[in-house]
Amino acid sequence: MAISIQVDHVSREYGPVKALDDVTLDIKAGEFFTLLGSSGCGKSSLLKLIGGFDTQTSGRVCFDGKDVSGLAANKRPVNTVFQSLALFPHMSVAQNVGYGLRLRGLSGSSLDSRINDALDLVELSGFGPRNVNILSGGQRQRVALARALVMEPGILLLDEPLTGLDERLRQQMRDEFGRLHKRTGATFILVTHNQDEALSLSDRMAVMHKGRIEQVDAPARFFDAPANAFVARFIGIDTLLRPEKIDTANGQAEATIAGQTLPVRADGFLDPAASVVAIRPDRLFLAPQGAPSSLLLTVVGTTFRGLHRDLKLAFSDGQTLVIAIEADADIGQLTVGQKVPVGLKPDAAVLVSSAGMPQAG
Amino acid sequence: MMIREGLFNRILLWAITIAGLIVIYAPPLYLLAVSFNPALQPGVPRLSDLSLTWYAALPHERALVGALQQSLIIATITAVLATGMSLLAALAYFELRATRTAWFLTVILPMFVPGVIQGLALSAVFTRSGIKASTLTVIAGHLLWAMPFAFIVILTSFAAVRRSYLTAAADLGATRWRQFVDITLPLIRPGLISAVIFSFLLSLNEFTRAFYLAGRQNTLPVVLFGKMNSGASPVIYAMSGAIFLVSVGCVALASVHFLLRRN
Repeated sequence: MAISIQVDHVSREYGPVKALDDVTLDIKAGEFFTLLGSSGCGKSSLLKLIGGFDTQTSGRVCFDGKDVSGLAANKRPVNTVFQSLALFPHMSVAQNVGYGLRLRGLSGSSLDSRINDALDLVELSGFGPRNVNILSGGQRQRVALARALVMEPGILLLDEPLTGLDERLRQQMRDEFGRLHKRTGATFILVTHNQDEALSLSDRMAVMHKGRIEQVDAPARFFDAPANAFVARFIGIDTLLRPEKIDTANGQAEATIAGQTLPVRADGFLDPAASVVAIRPDRLFLAPQGAPSSLLLTVVGTTFRGLHRDLKLAFSDGQTLVIAIEADADIGQLTVGQKVPVGLKPDAAVLVSSAGMPQAG
Repeated sequence: MMIREGLFNRILLWAITIAGLIVIYAPPLYLLAVSFNPALQPGVPRLSDLSLTWYAALPHERALVGALQQSLIIATITAVLATGMSLLAALAYFELRATRTAWFLTVILPMFVPGVIQGLALSAVFTRSGIKASTLTVIAGHLLWAMPFAFIVILTSFAAVRRSYLTAAADLGATRWRQFVDITLPLIRPGLISAVIFSFLLSLNEFTRAFYLAGRQNTLPVVLFGKMNSGASPVIYAMSGAIFLVSVGCVALASVHFLLRRN
C-alpha cells in the first residue's frame, strides 16, 4: 500500500546550523518523488526524518495524515536503500534479503519463496547462497534493493543509491528503479545530486538549497518556469542575463539588455533589479544573414561538445549567452568578433527572480 | 645473478627464522626434556633414561594439584567476567562521542599500574574494609589486570561494525536488542574469543597480584615459585611440562579445526 507523506513546517537544527529550515512538502501516495540538490542542501537530512533515523527540531512529519514523529525507525512502514548499501557482511545474499522478514517471524518455505521472489524481481535469481562481500557493485546494489523491496514497504527511500557506480551501471539501475516503481506501486523518494537521474525518473521533484525548498514541480515545469536564478542554473539553464529595464506592451513583457530588446515571459516579476532573464539554449537559433532577428551579438568562441557545438555570444555590455547548434550545421565561417543575428523561439526567455544568482564576475 | 641473490636472501630469512624459533622454543623444550629425567638434579636425560616418574608422581602432589585447580577456576571466572565487562565497556565506547577518549583511558588505566603496587593497594583496601583474602579477592585483582587487554582486543574487533549496518537493521525492523544480537555480536565474535583466551592466560600467568591477594589456597605460579626457592622436587618440571603439552595440544586442535573448516 503506497503511503502519502506530509512534511509540515519542519526544521532540523544542529546547534547554530540549520540543516532544514521550515520545510513544507506534500508527497502523494505512489509518487516517484526526487529531492535534488548539491551536497549539504539538506536533502539527506529530510530523508533521515522520513526514515525515522533522526528527529526534527520543530514541525511534523505525517504518513497518510498521521503524525509519525514519535515512531522509531524500526516501527515505520518505510525501507531504505542506503548510500553505503550497508549490506550485512556476515550474511549471505539470501540472509540479507530475508533479514527483515525473519524479524517479522517468517520462516521456512514461505520465507524462502518471498526471498526468491525478491531476488527474481531484481534479476538476481539463484544468487541466494552467495557471499555478499564478493559481488560486483551492481549486484550489491540489487541485493540492497531486494532487501528493502521484500518488505513491501509503503515508502521506499533511495539515498543517493547510484553514487559510485560506473556510467553504464547507473543507466541500467536507473531503468530498474523506474520499472520497480511501476511494479510495486510504492511511494519512491529518491535523494540525488544528479539532475539527469531526477529528470528521467521523477513524477515530481523538489530542488533544495541551504535547507530550503526552492521549487517543487514536475520535471518539465522546471524548464518552463524555473522559480529563480538558482533553480534555473541548477537544472542547466546557464544563461542568466541582467536586464536594464522591463516594459510591458499589449500584455507582452519586453526586457532590454545592453540596448537590445527581446520578448520575455514574465510571471509577475517586473522589477529589473530583482530579476534576471533566463534563456533556454535550445530555443535560440542563428538567424540567416539579413533576416529580421531579435538580437545582434558578437561571437566570443565555439566549443566542440560531441553531438553539438556551443556557440558563445556576447552583448555589448559583456554579458554572454550560449547557443547549442548542431555539430554539422552550416553556419559558415564564424570569426571571433563577428556580429551574428540570433532568433528566439517562443518562450525562449523567462523572467525569473534573481534569488540565488551568483555575483557578476 | 638473480637466482644467487634470491638464494642468499632465502638462506638469510631461514637463518633468522630458525634462530627466532630456537630462542622462543628452546627453553620450554629444555624444561620438557628435564621433566622426563628421572634424576633429582635437573638436566637433559639420555635417551635410555627417559622416564615418566615425575608425571606419575604428579597426582600425589596435593599442593601442586590444588594450586592448579585454583588457578584454573580463577582464570576461567576472570576470563568470562573480563570479557563480559569489556564488551559492555566497548559498547559504551561505541556509543559515546565527545567523552570516548576519556572513557578509553579510564578503562585501560589499570594496565599501567605496576602489579606490586596494585596488589599491595588492593590488599590494604580489602583488609581495611574487612574483606578476607580468598578466591574472590584474587579474581578482583585479576579482573583489573585482564580487563584492559580484553577491552582493547574487543574494541579492535568493533572496527568491523559500521553504524550503517545498525541503521539498516533498524530500518528493517530490528529493535536495539536484535541489532546487538544479529549484527554486532556476530561481527565482533573473533574479538570476544580472543578476549576470553587472552584474559584466561593473563590470569593463569599472574603472580604479583595473586601473591598479595590469595587466601588459604595459593595459585599455581605462587606455589611453583615457592617450591623452586625451597629446593624443588622435579615434580614442578613435570607440572610445567604437562601445561606446555596441553597448550600445544590446544593450538594443534584449533589449527586442525580451522584447516578442516577451510576445506
